[in-house]
Amino acid sequence: MGLRRQAAVILAAAAVLCLFLGPAESFGLDVPKLSGRVNDYGNMISPQARATLEAELAALERADSTQVVVLTMPSLEGDVIEEFSIRVGDAWKIGQKGKDNGVIFIVSKADRKLRIEVGRGLQGVLTDLQTGRIIDTVIKPRFKQNRFDDGFLEGTRDIIAASRGEFKPTPKATPYISPNRYFEVFLVAVFLVLPFLRRINRFLPIPAGAAGGPLLHVLSTGGAASGSTLGILAVVGGVVGLFVAGIGSSKKHGHHGSGGGFLDSFGGSSWSSGGGSDFGGGGGGSFDGGGSSGDW
Amino acid sequence: MKKYSLFALITVLLALSLLQGCGYNTMQANEESVKAAWGDVESSYQRRADLVPNLVETVKAYAKHERETLAAVTEARSKAGSITVTKAMLDDPQAMAKFQQAQGALSSSLSRLMVVVEKYPDLKANQGFQDLAHQLEGTENRINVARSRYNKAVETFNTSIRIFPNNLTNSMLLHLKLKEPFKADEGAATAPKVKFQ
Repeated sequence: MGLRRQAAVILAAAAVLCLFLGPAESFGLDVPKLSGRVNDYGNMISPQARATLEAELAALERADSTQVVVLTMPSLEGDVIEEFSIRVGDAWKIGQKGKDNGVIFIVSKADRKLRIEVGRGLQGVLTDLQTGRIIDTVIKPRFKQNRFDDGFLEGTRDIIAASRGEFKPTPKATPYISPNRYFEVFLVAVFLVLPFLRRINRFLPIPAGAAGGPLLHVLSTGGAASGSTLGILAVVGGVVGLFVAGIGSSKKHGHHGSGGGFLDSFGGSSWSSGGGSDFGGGGGGSFDGGGSSGDW
Repeated sequence: MKKYSLFALITVLLALSLLQGCGYNTMQANEESVKAAWGDVESSYQRRADLVPNLVETVKAYAKHERETLAAVTEARSKAGSITVTKAMLDDPQAMAKFQQAQGALSSSLSRLMVVVEKYPDLKANQGFQDLAHQLEGTENRINVARSRYNKAVETFNTSIRIFPNNLTNSMLLHLKLKEPFKADEGAATAPKVKFQ
């Protein structure tokens, strides 16, 4: 009697404890929202300079997949710029996942401090030394003369120049079949192609399905697929093939002519577009504290 | 026969899901992230050690009279280099204390060197020295980041082996020990301020 009760109490206590074990975090200045390539919370950049910056940074990302963003803050409110900037990096995840090719150019207006935070993937070309020189020789002198637009434009241009060519974008893979036609192609395959093959040989739909599943996927994604995905699709395709092989052996004449509508829908209109200059957010890059700081 | 094998299958599945519920995998995954975080700590300290000889040479060229300060840096560097903590030693408080002490000594000798440098405007204006200073600054920052990430990983791991029911799983099966975090005191107090303006 007593034992069971004790156990219940202990369990309840453990459950209550679990509730209080949340991570105790949140210190320092809050990281602002990532609103685009240029986040001018400190009101330091003119609209014209901002448009130029955005266009240049968008061009860099299109060409190289490298992401550079600018952040200005009215004040750090007592925080240390290095600590704030790594938190921004962790929150915004600028740069592509796995490549870590992101740069964050952070300026605090009231503290007159700035920092260029560089993702690990770019530290080979944008070394601490390089960012330090850009700060010392390009940005600082202009900021000292209150030529903020020039400082941002030319500093960013140097960051771009140093990082250009270091990364190639992962081919966004122009799909041969756009994803929204996927299902239609699937229907054509199942109701026309497989039954047709079945007439040649009863068991032919099975290997054809196993090959067709992954093939359809590759065609619709432009080749970007993992081995395990393809494996699963091969099995699924095989099962579909098996199903087709198994059904109604008496049904000699299929829906040969009825497929026109489907085939017509493979129009050129379904090619995916290359994407404009709109910002898609951080790509999942990470930071390790590399880069340089300075003040003016 | 058939019934028996079905029973065995269910038992195995049940055992697996119980292990999952007891944190068997979580604890081990957490231990791996502690080890990974330690790898970053080590490499950032190594990076600093690699910078020191160059820095000492550059300073020497301008500040010949600061022999003592320079010798202290070189000595602290070689001492710090001789103490390594492998990933298997992270649960050893003594090894960690020694490591932290040696690296802390290098930090404070470097900050003394940077104070000395203030007396030599020619050196401060030297491009090579400015470049090294930026590199050292970046490296110190990387060390800070790597240390705090390591501490965070240790905290997660230590919590995961202490809470119920993971503590039971651990004491019966895994026998993982608490990992040592970096202590804040000396690192925070004497972290070299490598800034020149």
